[in-house]
Amino acid sequence: MPKNKPKRSGPSIDMTAMCDVAFLLLTFFMLTAKAKPQETVVIDTPSSISETKLPDAGTLTIMVNKDGKVFMDMAGQHTRLSLIDDINSRYQLGLNDQQKMKFANLGSFGVSRAELKRYLDLSPADRNTYPSPGIPIDTADINKSELADWIHNARLAQFRMKQEGKVKDEYVMIVKADQTTPYPAVQKVINTLTDINVNKFNLITSMEGGPKKE
Amino acid sequence: MADFLNLPRGPSKRRGRMSTRMDFTPMVDLGFLLITFFMLTTALTRPNMMALAMPDDKGEPEPVKRSKVLTLMLGHRNQVLWYEGQDLAQSDSTGYDAAGLRKVILAKKEKVDRQWGQQTYMDGKTGALTKGSYLNVILKPGPHSSYKNLVDALDEMAICGVRYYCIVDLTPPEQAYMASLGL
Repeated sequence: MPKNKPKRSGPSIDMTAMCDVAFLLLTFFMLTAKAKPQETVVIDTPSSISETKLPDAGTLTIMVNKDGKVFMDMAGQHTRLSLIDDINSRYQLGLNDQQKMKFANLGSFGVSRAELKRYLDLSPADRNTYPSPGIPIDTADINKSELADWIHNARLAQFRMKQEGKVKDEYVMIVKADQTTPYPAVQKVINTLTDINVNKFNLITSMEGGPKKE
Repeated sequence: MADFLNLPRGPSKRRGRMSTRMDFTPMVDLGFLLITFFMLTTALTRPNMMALAMPDDKGEPEPVKRSKVLTLMLGHRNQVLWYEGQDLAQSDSTGYDAAGLRKVILAKKEKVDRQWGQQTYMDGKTGALTKGSYLNVILKPGPHSSYKNLVDALDEMAICGVRYYCIVDLTPPEQAYMASLGL
């Protein structure tokens, strides 16, 4: 055995390249992905062959869960703030600025106007477990239907924001219902929409392969 | 763990030359941890949507030839009751699968095409002249049908290339008829 043993180091791997890849992927995911919206309502959408993607522009979504309860969600903080200001002063809900801000940052909601104040005061965790009764719909008298009122005013608010240049587009109307929702519940929502002259809207579906071309 | 270093046993006498090479292992760990986090918290696929236009009920309805019409009544337990024209009594039931509803629609489409020929129209997207059927399909979802039934039926419209279809409520005689069949 020679006296001067050459100094041997263990196998060394250069981690720089792997680090590059990891951060490249990270950047990619951060840029392409959209934050998962806070879901207060679980909806399993039916599948269809449609390949049109949901637009990036502002959407107003009306959700119907499998019990037929109606929830609503709309994009745009400015619009939501303007909307709740409007609703608050019109129906004297007595909301303070903090509660209005909470509404602007809220995801979907499914409570009546009367209990909105109480609902906004809940902590986010309590809100998720709150037994939301759904937004009331009155099919007989459109002027009494809270859903129609919300949609109408939300669209007006979005229009105001568009004129002020805060948003680019008007709302794209979206109906999202569960596969097992009985049709009459969906019908109520569709009738409400057509009653306030919203005749064009989109149904959310999940992907399904089309039939084989023959 | 990128380097398995054979550390010198005793205290090194030569402290002067420090390596400028950095171990990137913790940074890689962090990178992948963040990737995992983002993959779990973000919605990567945007959901699909299906455009639907409801008829404006304020205008005057346009009359349609009876022979061009196919009515589908969506009933209970994934059953569809269909009839041609106004022959409610001649109705038949089928399912939503390709062998059921699609066959019915395509058969009716062929019948309409044979009788009325095909309509030439300008495609909205491409601007090219295309030919389409004159077939009108009326969808009437019943009180016991589910939302999935409606979407399935709308899907068939897209698959079969039906250009005219609308969703209408059931008339009282139809409702009674469906109830009598337990649909």
